[in-house]
Amino acid sequence: MEARPALETKDLSRYFKGVVALNDVSVAISPGEVVGLVGDNGAGKSTLVKILSGDLEPSSGQVLIEGEEVHFRHPRDAKKRQIETIYQDLALCENLDIMENVFLGHESYRNPLLRLLDRRRMYRETSQLLEELAIRVPSTRELVMNLSGGQRQATALARVAKAGARLIILDEPTAALGVNETRNLLDLVLRFKAQGKTIIIISHEMRDVFEVTDRIIVLKRGELIADKLTAATDPDEIVRYIIRGRD
Amino acid sequence: MTAQSPNDASGLAVRLPAPLVAMLRRRDSNVFFLLFVLVAAIVFFTIQSPYFFSDRNAFNIGRAVSITGIAAAFATLLMISGGLDLSIGAIMNASGLAAAVIMVDPENSIIFAFAVSLGISAFIGFSNGIIVTKIGVNPIIATIGMQFVVRGMTLATRSGSALVRNRTFLEIGQGELAIGTMEIPVPVILMLTTMLLCYLALRFTQFGKYIYAIGDNASACRRAGINVAGMRIALYTLSGLGAGFAGIVLAGLTGAGIPYAAGSELSVISAVILGGVSLSGGVGVIQGTLLGVLLVGVLKNGMTLLNINANWQMVVEGSVLMIAVSLDQLKQRI
Ligand SMILES: Nc1ncnc2c1ncn2[C@@H]1O[C@H](COP(=O)(O)OP(=O)(O)O)[C@@H](O)[C@H]1O
Ligand SMILES: [Mg+2]
Repeated sequence: MEARPALETKDLSRYFKGVVALNDVSVAISPGEVVGLVGDNGAGKSTLVKILSGDLEPSSGQVLIEGEEVHFRHPRDAKKRQIETIYQDLALCENLDIMENVFLGHESYRNPLLRLLDRRRMYRETSQLLEELAIRVPSTRELVMNLSGGQRQATALARVAKAGARLIILDEPTAALGVNETRNLLDLVLRFKAQGKTIIIISHEMRDVFEVTDRIIVLKRGELIADKLTAATDPDEIVRYIIRGRD
Repeated sequence: MTAQSPNDASGLAVRLPAPLVAMLRRRDSNVFFLLFVLVAAIVFFTIQSPYFFSDRNAFNIGRAVSITGIAAAFATLLMISGGLDLSIGAIMNASGLAAAVIMVDPENSIIFAFAVSLGISAFIGFSNGIIVTKIGVNPIIATIGMQFVVRGMTLATRSGSALVRNRTFLEIGQGELAIGTMEIPVPVILMLTTMLLCYLALRFTQFGKYIYAIGDNASACRRAGINVAGMRIALYTLSGLGAGFAGIVLAGLTGAGIPYAAGSELSVISAVILGGVSLSGGVGVIQGTLLGVLLVGVLKNGMTLLNINANWQMVVEGSVLMIAVSLDQLKQRI
C-alpha cells in the first residue's frame, strides 16, 4: 500500500474580487518528495503557497495533511502542523537584526513567565546554524535593512531551518540570487531532502527545477495543467505547458 | 531629468559614509542629538535667567511634564508599533474626573477610585484596539471618534469639576518623596517608574521585540505566527491605561477632576515624535521620549522665565515639532 500523502488538496479554489487566482486545484504530495511548482506570472503559484501556509483562506476546496482535513486560519496553524514557508517577499523585519529575524516567533527565554529574551543563547544558536548551513554573513547582529539580497535570503532560509519543519515551501527563492548563492540554495534543498523533508519549490529556472525535484506541477491561470514525474518529462515539454497550457 | 520619488536616496546632496548610515538607521539614533539639544537649551536658559538652574526649578519642570510623560511612555509603545491614539486627552479627563468624583465621598477608598478609573480607561483603549484591528478603521479616524464620544460622555455625566480633599489622593500629584537629601515630587517618580517599566519591556522582552517587528512589517509578523491583532489590541489598551493613570495624577496635582481640559494628546504625541518615534513605526526608544518630554518642558519653563508670552511659546513648540518631523523625513531617505 502506498503511504498517505504528506499533503493533499482537493478542488482548491481562491477568488479575489472577480479574479480567479486558483481554480479547482487537486494535488497530492508524498512524504519526502520534492515538488516543483511552475507557471507564468499570475498563474496562482503564490496563492496556492499562501493557502498551504495559512496566510490565505481558500474560497472553496479542502487541504489535507496526512489524510486529515485542516482549516488554517492563521499562519500559526500551519506552523503547528510543521509547515514552514519562505515567501516570495521573504517576510523579514528590516529593523531587526539577523538573529531576531531567525528567531521571530520562536524565541528562547531566560524567564518564560515574563518572556525575557535569552539573547545570548539565540545569537550563539544563530551563529551555529549559519555555520551548519554554510551561510556567511558579516555578523548575526547586522540589521536586515543593511543586508544584500542574498544575505536576506539566507536569513529567511535559516529561519526555516531553525523551525525544524516537515514540509518546507520556497516561493521563488532563487529569483534574487547570484550564481554561487543559487548553487548554495540548491545544495541546501538537497540536504533538506536527504533529511526526509517534503519540499515544494517555485522557480522559473528550468535547470534548477530539473536538478532538485522529483515531480513538477504546472499551473496556468489558476488551473492545474500538468503533474509529471521529473524523470518522465523534459524542460521543453514543461515550458510548452507553461506557455500554451494543455494541448 | 528623471522623475524623483520623495524617498529617492539621490535626493541627498552628499553621499554619507556607510558607518554613519548604519548609525542613523539605529532605532535610538535620535538620543544623542536630543541630549545635545537639551543640554544646549539648559545652558542657554542658565545664561539668560538667574532663576533657571536650581533644584526647585528642575522639579517645577519635572512636575509640569510628568503628566505628559506618563501618557507618553505608553503612547511610545503604541506608536513604535505603528499605531496612534488621539483619544489620550479625553481619556485623561474622563479618568481624572471619575477618580475625583469617587473621592468626593469620604467613604470610598483610593483603591476603589483607581480601579474604576483605570478600568474605564483600559476599556476605552481596548475598544480603540478592537475598532482598529477587527473592523479595520484607520487609527486616526477611530481614535478621534473615540475622543468625541468620551469627551461628550464625560461632560454629559458631569459639567463641573469635582474637588478632592482626601490627603493621600492629593499626595499623588502634590507630594514629595525624600530620596537622600532631595525632596523629589511624587509625579516625577511616577513618570520615571512608568518610563523605566516601558524601557525594560521594550529592551528585554518578547513583547518589546514584537512591538518593533510589527511597526516594521506586520504581515511578516503574522506569517511568523505572531498574534498581531492581539498585540495591537493590547497596545491600545495600554495606551488607554497610561492616559487614565496620567489623568489620576493630574487630578491629584490640580486637586480636582476637570471634565473639559483639551488637547493633551497633541502634547503627548509631539513629545513622542520629538523623541524619535517615526509616525510610520518601527523606530524609537523610551529614552528619546523622556528627552522629548524634558526638552518641551525646559523650553516652556525657560521661555516663561524670560517673560515670553504663551502665544509665542506655542509657536516655538509647534516649530520644534515640525523640525523634528522634517529631520525624520530626511532620515527616511538614507
Ligand atoms: N491579494 C490579492 N488581491 C487581488 N488579486 C490577487 C491577490 N493576490 C493575487 N491576486 C491575483 O491572483 C492571480 C494569481 O497571483 P499569484 O498567486 O501571485 O501568481 P504567481 O505567484 O503564480 O505569479 C493574479 O492574477 C493576481 O493578480
Ligand atoms: Mg508569485
